[in-house]
Amino acid sequence: MNTSPSSLPAAPAAVAGDAALAALLIPATPLTPRCSVAEAGERFLDPAHANLLSLPIVDAGRVLGCITRHELMLRVYMAPYGRELHGRRPVTTLMNAQPLSLSLATSIEAAGQLIGQRLRRPITEDFVLTGADGCYAGMGIVLDVLRALEIRVGQHAQELEHAYRRLKASQHRLVQSEKLATLGQLVAGLAHEINTPLGYVQNNLAMTRDLLPSADSLVQAGSAVLDAALGEDAAALESSLQQLSAARAAFDPAMFADLTALLDDTLHGVGQIADLVAHLKDFSRVDSAHAEAVDLHGLIDAALRIAGHLLKKNNVQVRCHYGQIPPLRCAPAQINQVLLNLIGNAAQAIDHDSGMVTIRTQTLGGYAMIAVQDNGRGIPPDVLPRIFEPFFTTKPVGQGTGLGLSICQQIVQSHGGRIAATSAPETGTRFVVALPLAGAAARSAP
Amino acid sequence: MTSAKPCVVLIDDEERILRSLALLLRSRYEVLASTDPVQVLQWVRSRPVHVVVSDQRMPAITGVALLRQIREHSPRSMRLLLTGYADLAAVEAAVNEGEIFRFLEKPWDALRLQDAIATAAQIAVADFADTPAAPAVAAPAAAAPVLVLDEDPLTATLVRSLLPSDCLVATAATVEAALARLEEQEFGVILAELRHSSDDVIGALKLLKQASPRTLSIACSPLRDGRLLIELINQGQVFRFLPKPLGRELLRRALLAALERHAELRSEPQRLRRHAVERPREVSLSGRVLDYLRRIRDQARLRA
Ligand SMILES: Nc1ncnc2c1ncn2[C@@H]1O[C@H](COP(=O)(O)OP(=O)(O)OP(=O)(O)O)[C@@H](O)[C@H]1O
Ligand SMILES: [Mg+2]
Repeated sequence: MNTSPSSLPAAPAAVAGDAALAALLIPATPLTPRCSVAEAGERFLDPAHANLLSLPIVDAGRVLGCITRHELMLRVYMAPYGRELHGRRPVTTLMNAQPLSLSLATSIEAAGQLIGQRLRRPITEDFVLTGADGCYAGMGIVLDVLRALEIRVGQHAQELEHAYRRLKASQHRLVQSEKLATLGQLVAGLAHEINTPLGYVQNNLAMTRDLLPSADSLVQAGSAVLDAALGEDAAALESSLQQLSAARAAFDPAMFADLTALLDDTLHGVGQIADLVAHLKDFSRVDSAHAEAVDLHGLIDAALRIAGHLLKKNNVQVRCHYGQIPPLRCAPAQINQVLLNLIGNAAQAIDHDSGMVTIRTQTLGGYAMIAVQDNGRGIPPDVLPRIFEPFFTTKPVGQGTGLGLSICQQIVQSHGGRIAATSAPETGTRFVVALPLAGAAARSAP
Repeated sequence: MTSAKPCVVLIDDEERILRSLALLLRSRYEVLASTDPVQVLQWVRSRPVHVVVSDQRMPAITGVALLRQIREHSPRSMRLLLTGYADLAAVEAAVNEGEIFRFLEKPWDALRLQDAIATAAQIAVADFADTPAAPAVAAPAAAAPVLVLDEDPLTATLVRSLLPSDCLVATAATVEAALARLEEQEFGVILAELRHSSDDVIGALKLLKQASPRTLSIACSPLRDGRLLIELINQGQVFRFLPKPLGRELLRRALLAALERHAELRSEPQRLRRHAVERPREVSLSGRVLDYLRRIRDQARLRA
């Protein structure tokens, strides 16, 4: 990278990647302590030192101090009789005996900091660079440090930008894969919920159909008997009676008696399936836009219905206490994902058989609050701060992705809301989700 | 036999399923139905129960876990699973833990269900009629040989390292080579990788169970396909399914259990009927392979 502007002759200063001050070294020939003030002034006129604000005074490698252009101007050249007063004196009389002195190995960042702390404003001097042995190595210019810092910050910003983009992409993939995992669970749950009623509906209908011919022949035989009786044809009556008793023998009255109950079950089952399908539409809405204002309680009911199989395990009871919540602008499919995750976690945390999940809603200070509380095993205090971390799970390998809550958090935050958990081991856990009623803060979520 | 009709126990957490099934079955069986697993265990302990049909997902217990308990209390009861959603974990557990007879899905096909229950009832009725044989006292002779059908030679190496050195481990890379070995001698166990570059291993396993019912099959594969596995239960009575890469301990236990079962089947041949399979629907095997299978079947009959 070669971005150093031409105004900076100290070319090495801008070499990117060189993190230490060594790259900024200017090998200025130092003054000796015996050098006079006037001689020092002449040395400043040397074009090789054009960029330097100060020159070092070195004796046998040791830096005694620095004399600055500024000091010379002020005290010698611009002061009345200054030249006469100071010109012949040794330069040490006007030097700063405590110049900023930095080792060549100092990093640019550290140098920037030290310069900020130590140098007076306006900047009137340069700093001394010393080797590993503490001996004079050369001079460094404050502006060069600033320039190098600027380049490095720029590089960092680019790296950050890249890292940010990579993170963003992988996070997006994570959300997608968790979505798929949730979808997989959902499909499994739905298939089970639908196939169970379908099982008995289909079987009941098949049995009813198999029963109908024998009922039909019984009715036919009955009316044939009636016809024969009305026609007063003794022979026909005899044979139709025989047919009737044969038809009655083939008929299973017990089965027929059960038919009403069977068909009631069948209607119930079809109703169940219709109900499920109706709830499904909440999950199929396009979720990129927060376009519609939806009924939060409808979303909760749908999630409970879909998560039914999770709650059935351990006979978990569900209580809902709904407050007054106006329609909420949100991405319904995403909020459903949050609810499903929370309900799923709650069900999974319960390992006794008097499990209870309570869902409460209320409005509070411009937010819709949803609390999902369980009486499961709770979360130990040392675990609690970590539960929203991606991949944090206490489930055995292969069973939990540990993404559920981190995705919940992300979805809630993208709606401009917040999610938090409180827990007491052995008593249970409560998750509270707050979503802004205005929905104004909502950005398009991943 | 205690009653004229075989006894079928049904358990499901949906009462309507129970009502519906009970009506379907009650003309042929004495049907006991409950939503309560404790009640079911009590029935099984207190009277002969020929067939148990259980749901998989229930509030208090999974069907597989219940059937495993039933197996302990009443090993002669035939166990069937009837499930609304065949998730892979349930199917694998059904094979490896439940050792179930059939895996059926809701909504069920009434005829197929009737068939499965009828077969199961017939087997159990015969089993209950047998006076229980004294447990085989004689220490099992040298373990029966094991055949490994896998294109990857490392599988056989692993198997050899897990079994005692006097146990013969033969290998085959193709279905035809495997059948050639099976024709030469009886194998106790065949460990087969389901995925093969050219051959229908699954079809071969199904037909092999018909030809040589005593040979127990352990299927393994990196593919984990619930549907496939269900077929292998119903039509191949696969003894174990192991995901690949193979874990040493899991494989060792599966091999030992299979060899033990094989020894039992040799000493109590009547137990073979419990391994009856559904007729497979379609199998893509060459005429030559089918000839092999026929010869293996004939020899198995001779040996029995
Ligand atoms: N209601 C709860 N009760 C007790 N612990 C909980 C509850 N909810 C979450 N946790 C803890 O937080 C961890 C992280 O939850 P998260 O939903 O992110 O992942 P997971 O549930 O482990 O995995 P997955 O969601 O993929 O099944 C869980 O492993 C569990 O330890
Ligand atoms: Mg979770």
